[in-house]
This record gives sequence, structure tokens and C-alpha cells, in this order.
Amino acid sequence: MIDLLVALLAAFAVWTGWRVFRVDSMVRASFSLMLSFIAVGGIGVLLSAPYIGVATVFMMAVEMMVMAIFMVMFMMNPAGLNPMSMVHQHRFSIGAGIVAAVALGAAVLLSPLPSDPVLSETDVVADLGHELLGPSMLIFETAGVTLLATMVGAVILSSRQGRYGDSDEGSRPPGLTPDGDPAGRQPEEGGGHDHHGGHG
Amino acid sequence: MTAVLLALAVLATLMLGAVLAVAMDRRIAQLAAGLARQRIETEAPDRLNRNLAPVWYFALAAAGLSVVPFAPGLALLDSPVGIVIWGACEALTIVAVFLHGWSPNAPFPLIGAYRYVAIGLPVMLPSMFVLIAAALPAQSLSLLAIVESQREMWNVTRQPLGLPLFTIVVLTLTLRGPMDFADAADIATGTSAEESGAARVVWEVARAAMLVSASAIAATVFLGGPLGPVLPGPAWLWIKTAALMAIFTWLGHRVARTTPSRMLTILWVILLPLSFVHLAIAGVIAL
Amino acid sequence: MAVSLLSCLASRAPAPVFAAIGPGWQAAVERLLARTGLRGALTPRDAGILLVAGEMPDNTAEALNRVHDQLPRPRAILRWTRSHETVDDIAARIGASWRNLGAIDEQDLLPDQPPNEWKCVGPHGQGGKGMMGGTPYGRPMAMTGEDIRDGLQLDRYTARIGPFAPMLPPGLVLEVTLQGDVIVAATVQHQPFAQPADVDAPELCAARMLRLLGLGGPARRAVRGGRPGGLWVRGAVPRGLGMIEGAGDARDRLAAFLRGDSPVVAAFDLPGLLPGLEWSEAMLVLASVPPSAVLRAASLPEDA
Repeated sequence: MIDLLVALLAAFAVWTGWRVFRVDSMVRASFSLMLSFIAVGGIGVLLSAPYIGVATVFMMAVEMMVMAIFMVMFMMNPAGLNPMSMVHQHRFSIGAGIVAAVALGAAVLLSPLPSDPVLSETDVVADLGHELLGPSMLIFETAGVTLLATMVGAVILSSRQGRYGDSDEGSRPPGLTPDGDPAGRQPEEGGGHDHHGGHG
Repeated sequence: MTAVLLALAVLATLMLGAVLAVAMDRRIAQLAAGLARQRIETEAPDRLNRNLAPVWYFALAAAGLSVVPFAPGLALLDSPVGIVIWGACEALTIVAVFLHGWSPNAPFPLIGAYRYVAIGLPVMLPSMFVLIAAALPAQSLSLLAIVESQREMWNVTRQPLGLPLFTIVVLTLTLRGPMDFADAADIATGTSAEESGAARVVWEVARAAMLVSASAIAATVFLGGPLGPVLPGPAWLWIKTAALMAIFTWLGHRVARTTPSRMLTILWVILLPLSFVHLAIAGVIAL
Repeated sequence: MAVSLLSCLASRAPAPVFAAIGPGWQAAVERLLARTGLRGALTPRDAGILLVAGEMPDNTAEALNRVHDQLPRPRAILRWTRSHETVDDIAARIGASWRNLGAIDEQDLLPDQPPNEWKCVGPHGQGGKGMMGGTPYGRPMAMTGEDIRDGLQLDRYTARIGPFAPMLPPGLVLEVTLQGDVIVAATVQHQPFAQPADVDAPELCAARMLRLLGLGGPARRAVRGGRPGGLWVRGAVPRGLGMIEGAGDARDRLAAFLRGDSPVVAAFDLPGLLPGLEWSEAMLVLASVPPSAVLRAASLPEDA
């Protein structure tokens, strides 16, 4: 019974993953991907990893929502009224897809997978908690702090407000003497390249 | 057998609670009249999502209510991660409201949809912290354990910041009052601007059902849920849920709504640090 | 039995009226919509009755037809043009129309066709550069432009918000360019209709702002002359929003309206005040200025 459900969810995940490339709107693509991840989360719940499964659903809902918002921000094309072709670089991506599928499939089929079923009385959530804050604490905490630092750094780097003025104008500190040059390295001219709204 | 009874209890609570919520808003006659009106189609909408968004909203309310224990130790979905299931329902609610606004393919609904996402996603953070803080005394993420941990004292008294912060979350999930950025008046009722007839009524009923669900979760996590002296468990849960629904409805009608950017500032600068502090205090007490 | 219960409940519902307000009728219509038994619909899709108050200028006829077609059926049009018809009379007419709505079947006034043709090339309908579409029905894809606050490249969307928009002064047509909900450019295409001085009454102005703050019940109470009774009303308007020389900001003007004063607002630059504001802030600013001042500000560039 559980095997059948896992197989159905896996098939659904693959189908919605394929739909990501066939729908004609970026927002639909984001939410197709979300459905695929929700199916994977469901598989996690069925395989006695309830926290991981439900947390995958939670996280993916939020992440795909943010991705959909970015699609709307940079492509104000609601519901696909302006028809678009959603794929590009066909040959390269088909080739890369086939290679990746063959490699991952070989890895899954040829590696010995464990088969020790979890006892039904084990408190899986408590075990997961002990693992996260015990043997695996270093990797999770450093990963979390690194992600946070990256996000904060990205926002600061892209913000127009520099420390001494707008970053468009170089944000240079005041000079050492009145009307003099600031201390430190002088940036070369020609900073800032021309953006144009390229979508394809 | 108990599963069937619990499923019926969940459905009955959701239906009757939704009617009660609409009655508290004094809009029963208005919704009954709305059913008779024609359903309008916009140009090139996303038909699937437009028709299904209210259904998903209602289904998420039902999923949220199914983790609530109706009697101490009895819930339809007895999961060791009940709090995280409710969190996933909250996150998917934001997706459902966004799809409701994006699918009519019109500017005002789209503005309502992404304004709501800009506010709703930050609101998830205090929600998580407050719920985790309530899970700390119970040492479990399961709602049944949280109810058991409130036998001596309810969480609303030993974690006083929890229920006020969760009120903001409930108002956001049910698109009410100060957090109603999705269906606001300045964008001609936002995500519902192009809805008429039965679709509009179904959306309102789904909103009311989400109010029932969120109030039931708040009653379980902060007010002890089915615990109480004389009456049976379900009766206490219904009384507490109805009381919280009345409070949230009153707040929704009375408190003014500020602009989205100001609400974003309030969320990130005031409410999120407050929920950090709340979680830290709860953690220190639990240690 | 369920059907008759439903229709019994439906007949007790307040009549949803979408008001298309013409020159000189704004105060009367706003007072009418605050009565019990009626409710002002915030969107034409929510309404059943289109109330056309006053004589509309000819250049708004097409817009009025478009609003009429947006009301779902069954619908009715009521015209309120004779000033000797009192508020009670028109309210009674609206109530009677609402209860007899099924008997009337108003046809659409405009043809059910897109106004421009579909222009595209290519199998998916594209016709523009690379992956992008052409101009389906005359609507080009929004292209990027700089965000005026911090220089990011975001898409811009231009639209004309028409003369009968419920959150704008009646008659005002604004062509706005939006990035998200931030207005980056606004031009006045049509001035607001002229209204007599009683539209500047403080309770009406306070009610307009209260509706935008989400307080529909307090807005009705304010129009009827009572205390509105909302929480955090003044605090919800951001400080420094809509600062006009000599008339403070929107929060000061709302406080003045709630006290019962009518602040005097000197001339200001309407298209210059709006860019950079979000849509809800812009609507709050427009509602915080008494309508006669908005009319003066919107007519200033016209005499060039």
C-alpha cells in the first residue's frame, strides 16, 4: 500500500516536473515545481520522516512563492496573456538533461541502498532533533549562518545607498584635505555597465 | 470508527463555524444574494486556478483543523509534527491567495496578490517562533502533547506575548482588518475585484472557514483546547474557538489598516524581534 | 425549500449600488450610500445596481458603458438627475429595483470583442524579440525601466484608471505608469468633475479616508454625523505622507477632518506629488485633500 502511494507520488513529481517546461507562463512554472516538491515531501512523510516531509512542503511553498513574485516583478505578464516560449538553448539542455538522468539513474540503481525499516515506536522527530544538534551540528549551523551572511551581503551589495553617497556615483569618502582626493585606491572610470531588458 | 467520528466533527465544525463567522460579520444576507448573480469571465484567465483557488483555501482550512485535538488525545491527524503541518497550511494559504489574485489576469487583483505576499511571508516568521515557543514546554511538536502540557497553566498566561502575536497571523491568514492587503478598498477589493456571483461567495466562505481553523489552532495552542472542568472536550474547544473568532472579527472591523510599506517595517523591525525575545524567554524557562 | 430560504435571505440583503457620480452630485451620493438598506460596492463586479447621478459629459459615455457592462447580471440602471428627488425617494427606488431585479434583463451596451486585433507571429504567438510575444490585442509586454527609488530594473506597466474608479475623485482619469504598485509617472488625462462646496464637508472627507483605511463601518457612522470609533486611525496614516505647503501631511489633515475642521489647501502639483508613492499611499493622499483642492490642482496644467 505504501509502495503504491510512493510510486504514485513519484510519478506525480516527475509529471509536474515535466510540466515546468511545457507551461507558457513563468508563474505556472514556479507552482508546477512547487507541486513536484510537495509530492517529494509526501514521499518523505510516507517513509517515516514526517518532519522532513512536512518541512519540505512548508519551505517549498514559501520559496516557490518568492520565485513567482520575482517572475511577476521582472516580467509583469500576468497569466500568460503575452504568449512566450519558455525554453531556450534546446539542444544543449536536452543533452544535459539526458546525461544527468542517466548518471543519477545509474547512481540510484547501482548503489546498495539500506533496508532497515524504522520501528514504529521510535520517536523519529526526537531522533532527528538529537542528530541535528549533536553529530551534525557543525554542518547545519555553519550552513545556516553562511546563508544568512550571503543574503545580507547580497542586499547590501545591491542597495543604492552606499556608505558615503549613492553607489551609482562611486560612493567615495570625503577627501583627506578640502578639495583633495580621498585616501586609498582610486577607482577607474567607466564603472557600471548598461542594463537593457533582455529576456531571451 | 473514531476516525469517522472525528472526520465528521471536523467537517461539521468547519461548516457551522463558517456560518457563524459570516453571521458575526453580519453578511449572511449579502452572501445569499450574491449567489444569484452571474459569474463573470475575464479575458484569458488561468481557468484552473481561478476556479480552484477558493477550493484550495477551504481545503487548507480543513487540513489545519484536522490536526486539532477535539478531546485530550484524540485528533483526526495525530501527527508528531502537528505544528509544522499547520505551518505548511499557512504557507500554502499565501500561495492560494496569490493564485486567486493572479489568475483573473487583471491589474488590481495582481496588485492585491503580490502585496499580500509581501506582507504574508514575513508574517510566517513570528508565527513559527510563537508556535515553537508554545511547543517548548510540551517538548514535542505534536498538538496533543501541547494540550497535555497546559493542564496546570494555559500558554496564554505563561507566554503572554504569544496570543497577541498570533492574532496578527490569524488576521493575515483570513484577510481581515489591519492585515487585509489582498482585498483592500483602495484597489477595488483586490483579488476579488473581478469576481462576481457564486465564486465571490465561495471565496468569502473559504475565508470564514480559515477563521474557524486558525481560531481553533489558537485555542488549542494558547487556551488549552479541549481542556476544561465540567463540559466534554469538544464543547470546550467550540466555546474557546467561538470566543476567539468573535475577538478576531471585532479587531478586523475596528483596527485601521496602514500602508504596506509601513506594515512591512512594523513586521520586520518590531514584531519579529519581539517574537525572537518571546522565544528566547520561553527557551530559557524550559531549560 | 432551500431555494426559497435563499431568496428570503437574499431579499433582506442591502442593495449593492455602484455609483457613477457626475458633476455636482458627489455629496448627495455619498450621503445616500451611508444609509442602511444600501451598500456602496467597491467594485462594479460586486454591484447589482448602477446609479448614474447627474448629467455625464459626452466624452465619458464610452467609459460609462464599459462600467455598465462590468456589472454582473441581473442588473439595473437608475438615473438620479432631478435634484428635487430626495434621498429618501431614490433610496426607495433603489430598494424596489433590487427586489425586482430578476424581472429586468439589461443587455450589454458594448460589443463583446477585443478593442484591438491580435498581432503575433510564430507558433506560440510570439512576435517580438526572441522568446517574447508581440502585441496581443494591442497590449505590448511590459518592459523594464529603472525603479525610481533604488535603480533596480523592474517592469513598467501603464494603464489609464478611468473616470468612475471608486477610489479616485469622480471624473478624474489618471494615466499611471506602475512598477509593481509604485507609481513612477502620473498624468491627468481628464479633470475631476466640478462639485459644489458641500463636498468638502469634514465628515465626508473623513469618511473617504476611513474607507481607504479599511474601516467601512466607521466611515458610514462618520457620514451620518456620529463618532467613527475606529482604533489607531490617525496612527495608520504614515507620517510625512503627502506633505503640502501650508497644509501639513495626510495625518494632520485626517486629524483635522475628524475634529470637524476643513483645512484650506493651497495649490499643489498633483502629478508631481504622486510619483514614488505606492498605490495605497497615493490613494490616501488624494483622499486627504478636499475635492475642490484636487480639482484646482488637476486643472492647473490645462490652461497652458
